[in-house]
Amino acid sequence: MDEPAVDVETTGENVAGERPEDEPEAVTDDVTAHDDEVELERTIGLVGGLAIGIGTMIGAGIFVFPGLAATEAGPAASLSFTIGGVIALLVALPTSELATAMPRSGGGYYFISRSLGTAYGAIVGIGLWLGLVFASAFYLVGLGHYVVAVLAEIGMGLSIPVAPHVVLGLTFGVILTALSIGGTENTASLQNIIVVVLLAILTGFLTYGSLDAVGVFGRQTAPEAFFSQGFFPVLTTAALVFTSYLGFAQVATVAGEIKQPSRNLPRAMIGSVIVVTVFYVVTIFVATSAFGADALGRFGETAMVEVARELLGLPGAVLILFAGLLATFSSANASILSASRSVYALSRDALLPRRAGQVNLRYGTPHVALLMAGGPILVLVATDRVEVLAEVASFLHLVMYGLICVALIVLRRRDPEWYDPRYRMPGVPALPAVGAVASFALIAFMNPTSIVVGIVIMLVSYLWYRYYAGTVELKGDI
Amino acid sequence: MTDRPSVLVPIRVLEGESLPEGVPEFLANAHVVLLGYHAIPDQTAPGQARMQFEERANRKLDQFETAFNDAGATVERRLVFTHGPQKTINRQIIEHDCLAVLVPNAVPTPEDVLVAVRGTVGLDRLARVVGGLFDDSDLGITLYHVVGEGETDEDVEMLLDSLRDRLVDLGVGADRIGTRTDAAEEPLDRIVDTAEEFDAVVMGESDPTLATFVFGMPTDRVAERFLGPVLVVQREPPKEEAEEEAAEE
Repeated sequence: MDEPAVDVETTGENVAGERPEDEPEAVTDDVTAHDDEVELERTIGLVGGLAIGIGTMIGAGIFVFPGLAATEAGPAASLSFTIGGVIALLVALPTSELATAMPRSGGGYYFISRSLGTAYGAIVGIGLWLGLVFASAFYLVGLGHYVVAVLAEIGMGLSIPVAPHVVLGLTFGVILTALSIGGTENTASLQNIIVVVLLAILTGFLTYGSLDAVGVFGRQTAPEAFFSQGFFPVLTTAALVFTSYLGFAQVATVAGEIKQPSRNLPRAMIGSVIVVTVFYVVTIFVATSAFGADALGRFGETAMVEVARELLGLPGAVLILFAGLLATFSSANASILSASRSVYALSRDALLPRRAGQVNLRYGTPHVALLMAGGPILVLVATDRVEVLAEVASFLHLVMYGLICVALIVLRRRDPEWYDPRYRMPGVPALPAVGAVASFALIAFMNPTSIVVGIVIMLVSYLWYRYYAGTVELKGDI
Repeated sequence: MTDRPSVLVPIRVLEGESLPEGVPEFLANAHVVLLGYHAIPDQTAPGQARMQFEERANRKLDQFETAFNDAGATVERRLVFTHGPQKTINRQIIEHDCLAVLVPNAVPTPEDVLVAVRGTVGLDRLARVVGGLFDDSDLGITLYHVVGEGETDEDVEMLLDSLRDRLVDLGVGADRIGTRTDAAEEPLDRIVDTAEEFDAVVMGESDPTLATFVFGMPTDRVAERFLGPVLVVQREPPKEEAEEEAAEE
């Protein structure tokens, strides 16, 4: 049941004289096969794929954003999350189709470089790496806030001249990078367990919270206008909180390692988007019902802890603190690992020096790539600009998402012989066109700072491509 | 000569594990499926490890392949980079329809081999492995059964005789085949103790039971404690899986 590989003859070499690695001969349910009887085993199942998607996403939307979003948009913040979810779904569909046609590591970067060419590929690939770096820094700042809240809960206020959550975020950044380089334990199964525990805690908490909000337990909730801040903030908030939806693309980053890719990739990506959207919308509903948007905003990043305290007392607060630690930790960890995979994909294609993808002889881990993720993350954590970090991460991903939609339309129109996706999304070209427009449009609602930083990164990526890529040609036969 | 039984020889090729002495000669009559694998941590993409280690691994596999060919075996080889070595090994067993898997340990000049017989299930495959590998050698073959509760002497005699008959049919000289029985509460320990007197062991794959989740597969436990090579004869692949695969083709 060999499927034909993508019809790509990668050619050329970069300024250092390195050539892109050969493309594999065939892709099956169990392996990616190269010539000379060399196989790359596929070991991640549906549960593992869902855990990567949900585990990366759920940290931000529930445990960092509710307070910030409620301040900006009022109770209508739940609409902002819905808009984000719809856009994510519009992109998850074409991503799924492309992933089943080209189940290779590198995800969005791979699809775009093979269908739109090396220049787009370089911009998206470097953008994906740095986007994940920004996302990871954002999660680490969130994690810092949760540790501070835990310390405050047990009566250990930190009195140091710099912001304690930044110091803690930096510490965890160093620890995570070091663990990824030196640890050979089975991190994937740990990630699965964390996600299951998180979903169990959240389901229980949100079920109780929802019943309470609709008055089952006889408590009055403050009635509030839904669009208390007007309609426009709903859109800017949607742009801000879109960081909560970046995880499904991480499933595509490890597409080369997913078992039965034609079945598991679409399910893992679409499934994880739907699951987290439901959780986010219910969370905002419960949170704004418990407190009202204004009060919620004053609690900042750890607002959910206060919501839990209001509903369930101290045990509730402790439970959500614990869940918040797990969630932000797992999101940061998953993003560092995905960033390192992106660096590998770029070095495989000679868009970054081959050295960047090198594997450490002692631990078998890609230490250079991990440091190229961990290093910049620390710099970004130190800036402590939560909203900018989140928006730049979203910016860089949204550019990729928009281009994924474009790539799908191009491939469907040209319909090259090798293009044989097992999953075909409905509504082409209308739905992917809407997805592309929505992705690019969402960028317009961001802070000017974030937009400028994002554009600068894209520009530098393009210049890097012009300087370094030489004659490398990655585009498939289209 | 009988059909060459296909035997999987898994080797952790980059962790200094090499082909132990005597193994190529031991499998001279086999169709060897030589599996070089490299287990990598979750942080590393398999393709990333391939980029760096493929050449080195292939050089070692070339050596091993030559050694098997020189001994007279036919060889098919694979190099796999994997996060889950157990999955890789199981997949190779099914894909190449391997009758047995070798736990490679050194066996300088083998003289006698212990064939542990558990019951009538899988007897045919056991016979095909032993007959196929050793029909034209002068190894002593001892058929061995640890008598469990409720088994009569006649049962055991019939079991071992039927295997002996099959081996003779396959061309093994009757004078080379001996039988031996023991009674013990804990058959596994008994097998390991007895194995010490022999150079190599052939045994059937055990059924996974609750105990195996606590103590590990019994075959693994034998392999851990016995210093020579162990050939683990695989169960017949389940029908459904075979059909599923056929449907997917």
